[in-house]
Amino acid sequence: MSLVNFTTREITCKIVYYGPGRSGKTTNLQYIYSQVPDDRKGRMVSLATQTDRTLFFDFLPLDLGSISGFTTKFQLYTVPGQVYYNATRKLVLQGADGVVFVADSQARQLDENIESLQNLHLNILEHGVDVRTLPMVLQWNKQDLPRDLILSPQELDDALNFRTLPAFPADALHGSGVFETLKAISAEVLRRLSQTSSGGRD
Amino acid sequence: MTTTVVELWTEEPLVRYVGQASARLVVIMTPAGQVLAQHGFAKAVDLMGIAALGAAIMASSGALADLVGEATFGALFHAGVRHGIHLAPCRTPRGPLVVLTVFGRETSIGLVEFFFDEFAAALHAAAPAEQARGPVLAENFEAELGSSLAALFGR
Repeated sequence: MSLVNFTTREITCKIVYYGPGRSGKTTNLQYIYSQVPDDRKGRMVSLATQTDRTLFFDFLPLDLGSISGFTTKFQLYTVPGQVYYNATRKLVLQGADGVVFVADSQARQLDENIESLQNLHLNILEHGVDVRTLPMVLQWNKQDLPRDLILSPQELDDALNFRTLPAFPADALHGSGVFETLKAISAEVLRRLSQTSSGGRD
Repeated sequence: MTTTVVELWTEEPLVRYVGQASARLVVIMTPAGQVLAQHGFAKAVDLMGIAALGAAIMASSGALADLVGEATFGALFHAGVRHGIHLAPCRTPRGPLVVLTVFGRETSIGLVEFFFDEFAAALHAAAPAEQARGPVLAENFEAELGSSLAALFGR
């Protein structure tokens, strides 16, 4: 649950980018890192293999500035997408205030997207969280690839978005859709803080 | 050296522990890496990175313990040339916490461990039970969020 410091009027939220291997989760964070001024971000930490595949997580702290009089900080994490890293995926997901599911738009990756989404739901459930209460948005990444290789946003919506969550087409490599995705998940997470809630914490 | 706390009940035990153990840096965090209190860090975003890594080490250690049939491995200690780190779990009525202590040659792992036990007990005694929380942000926060993010991305 988001951490709120009423004394210093600060809010800290944890957002996890989830999805199958090579869908573009790390690319999202790298693009955000490249766009944000130095004084509003911390060092990006990447625990990766020698071939730059995420081994544990990537981490990027962001200072969003003042919102409703609260200094608002976001901690952005990615998980390793490859199937055999589920134990570490589950650890990173612990205490998440919101999730961005980054899907690979390539038609041949549809099964991997479905498997990863099911895995996300299972891991959330194992943390004792009702998936319907966890803020979540979807991103259809790699929409810049040739049309004959990818599914359209509508086709991806039909296949993966059965909860009619906010969804955004993206080309994370060049930044298209990255900002919109971050904005949407930020709003979903902070909206919970504008409503009455219990003060539980993970 | 600065000490900042998110939850006031952590302050007195933290200040006492820092003095007794001669610690250079201390972070009290949730298992998810959210910082509840800290001593010694000047920049909040650096602190968040350290908390994320500390929580990750603790979480992976816990998962390893589970795999080999141990309830927990307890505290972890790493010795460097100039600094050592001590990373340990701590149970409180507010839920489980993780404490990362960075110390130098002016103290020792033995002293840190000794005073950590007192610190953990003090945190447990000071922690209030979980409380319900009312709305934090105004209902119209989204306009401010939009402009903050736009400024962040230079739009």
